[in-house]
Amino acid sequence: MKRFGPFLLERRLAPPRGVVLGVSVLAVVLALLVGAVIFAGYGVDPWHAYATIAKSTLGSRYGLMEILRRTIPLLLCGVGLVISFRAQFWNIGAEGQLLAGAVAATGVALFSGIPRPWLLPAMFGAGFLAGAIWGMIPAFLKVKLKVNDVISTLMMNYIMIYIVEWLIHGPWKGPTMRGFAYTDTFSKAGWLPLLPLSRVHWPTLVIGVAAAVLAALVLARTRLGYEVRVVGESEGAARYAGINFLRVSLAVMLLSGGLAGLAGVGEVAGIHHKLLSPTQVSMNYGYTAIIVAWLARGSPLAAIVTSLLFGLIFAAGDVIKVSLRMPFQVTGVFNGLILFFLIGVELLMYWRVKLSPKGEGWTGKAGSSGS
Amino acid sequence: MRRFAVLVLMVMTAFGLVALAEGEIKAGFIYVGPIGDYGWSFAHNEAREMLDQEFDWLETVYVESVPEGQAGTFIDQLVAQGCNVIFTTSFGFMDETIEAAARYPDVIFAHCSGFKRAPNSATYMADFYQVYYLNGIMAGALTKSGKIGYVGAFPIPEVKRHINAFTIGVREANPDAEVHVKWIYEWFNPAAAKEAAEALIAEGCDVFAFTEDSPTVVQVAAENGFVSFGHYTPMYQFAPDKVVSGQIVHWEAIYRDFLTKVHQGLYTNENLQHVDYWWLLSQGAVEVGAEPGMMINPVFKDDLKAYIIDHPTFGEISAYDLVMVRHNQMADPGVTFDPFQGPVYDRKGNLVVPEGMWPSVDTLITLEWAVEGVVGPWPGEPGE
Repeated sequence: MKRFGPFLLERRLAPPRGVVLGVSVLAVVLALLVGAVIFAGYGVDPWHAYATIAKSTLGSRYGLMEILRRTIPLLLCGVGLVISFRAQFWNIGAEGQLLAGAVAATGVALFSGIPRPWLLPAMFGAGFLAGAIWGMIPAFLKVKLKVNDVISTLMMNYIMIYIVEWLIHGPWKGPTMRGFAYTDTFSKAGWLPLLPLSRVHWPTLVIGVAAAVLAALVLARTRLGYEVRVVGESEGAARYAGINFLRVSLAVMLLSGGLAGLAGVGEVAGIHHKLLSPTQVSMNYGYTAIIVAWLARGSPLAAIVTSLLFGLIFAAGDVIKVSLRMPFQVTGVFNGLILFFLIGVELLMYWRVKLSPKGEGWTGKAGSSGS
Repeated sequence: MRRFAVLVLMVMTAFGLVALAEGEIKAGFIYVGPIGDYGWSFAHNEAREMLDQEFDWLETVYVESVPEGQAGTFIDQLVAQGCNVIFTTSFGFMDETIEAAARYPDVIFAHCSGFKRAPNSATYMADFYQVYYLNGIMAGALTKSGKIGYVGAFPIPEVKRHINAFTIGVREANPDAEVHVKWIYEWFNPAAAKEAAEALIAEGCDVFAFTEDSPTVVQVAAENGFVSFGHYTPMYQFAPDKVVSGQIVHWEAIYRDFLTKVHQGLYTNENLQHVDYWWLLSQGAVEVGAEPGMMINPVFKDDLKAYIIDHPTFGEISAYDLVMVRHNQMADPGVTFDPFQGPVYDRKGNLVVPEGMWPSVDTLITLEWAVEGVVGPWPGEPGE
């Protein structure tokens, strides 16, 4: 317990769900308040601004569809990262694994010659496999050679970025693109269907939700899930229990990387229909998904909610750009504020704050009362 | 209720017709980069602001930093806001523009730098290759080491065309000079541009040109005492003693022409299938200069006048006069010269433009070869 002015801070090990939810909502409200100051400073009435954003995102079918479209890659990458974070495997490489999936799907779409009904399943299969392999390399390096997973997964992103650049400028450069750095467009058989009057490639969304449910089941009900949780809680206990580290790490990264790979398939087969510059294939989805997973606090189902939240933030950014005519940098400031407060209030979850006049509450008794 | 809805629709339609009859245009611009990039998107936005001031029948809106794959979303939003003309200003927006043109047959579209058109979607481009050629003549006259450095963005036909035209100009003034090329694989990356420029300095280059959306190469060259040519926007201010000339774009020339013709009813949503602007010096879409109106920085005039070329067509002529003659040949309405006038050989010895011929626009926008005098890697070079 710590004293801070008239306040007493008490450590809380596992915050109750109500506290987690309440504190998270508080963070968003605080961010909106500071955002209001920024809007006002720019000469835009904050009420008008928020009303416009709400109306254009949550208040219209079009807006809701835009949120869903942005949610898809964040959900798939986010669920994968939840799994790896549960095992204390710090996968910062979802971006590269996503791109690996996009590359594999492109290869299958352009060069395999697989006929119509099987082409899309084959693209998803290849994308999962490529993402999984790209994710399992750092897992192998970590267990066998003690290479730091944060560094290796991050570095693998850059390798994949340059592989994509090389492909679109070199062997896969499309003859129909008149020298520009794109592959040719996929045949229509390799295009994902969209929800009517939207850009939501729904098969990928369905896969994402299914992945979240399955991941929750695997973590809660299976032997692998049990091993993942033990490894995540205590490495020593896991060793003592005879859990095979290599097997668990590879399995975790197979799923984590594979799911990110599926997100990459969705982006190229659902939106672009070709392979292009890596910064255009992924709008840093692999990195944003780290925050999605982190806010989901180990629950794959919660990742559905947190990825929707970030889908909303991205869609709101577009509204700020177009309807409110504010410079695009404001979008970044706005998104940053929400993150800043979400992470900033973390403290409140793990510390109970009590008002207590000086001199009282110095005993553990006073502090623990009421719990 | 249904009758009321019909009535509302009729009123809205009538209102729309009235608005069209008055010729009011609301034009939306979709930019790929931030308007503060000092390059491509900046230049398009300058033109938009200029015309917004110029025409009282024109209202404009824009969206910046739009990623590829999302232009369609923003087109939807601009149409919902009432835009009846939409400009998409990046090659990567091509398919989304054509798809949107089919979705909104009443809206007029124009796509910059692409090659797909529709009855309600035109294409346009302001190209620099003549300007680069004239810069090349100056560079060839000013180099002491015989090595000129070029920092290139991407090895795509547009940039290759410009380096080739530049090199042809260099060799016309200085048949033994070489143009050393380094690629940075980014349109905007000051750090990479600096690294590439320093590597070229280490190779012995003493004059610089580039394709990158920042003044970095100009600044790095000037810090080391070397001269350079500005790119895309006026860059004289970044090194007044070291910027010889450069390439300046005037997108407003194309936008003015296009929007005026829409306003006058000459361009409609039905007759744009073959409207393709490929505008150069003679249409005023591009300019040779360190700054608007300053074709050659006065600091370098004497040096260029003192540099005498033994020219196959003009005999003994100074570099300064050659630039002026060639400029007039290309800037006059009846163009009488093209930098790629044959014979042009690539650096592998193949004849790529036959004697006396000019390449077609199609050849120019798809060319992959490098002319004699280009030194360095050239991804996608024919015959590899």
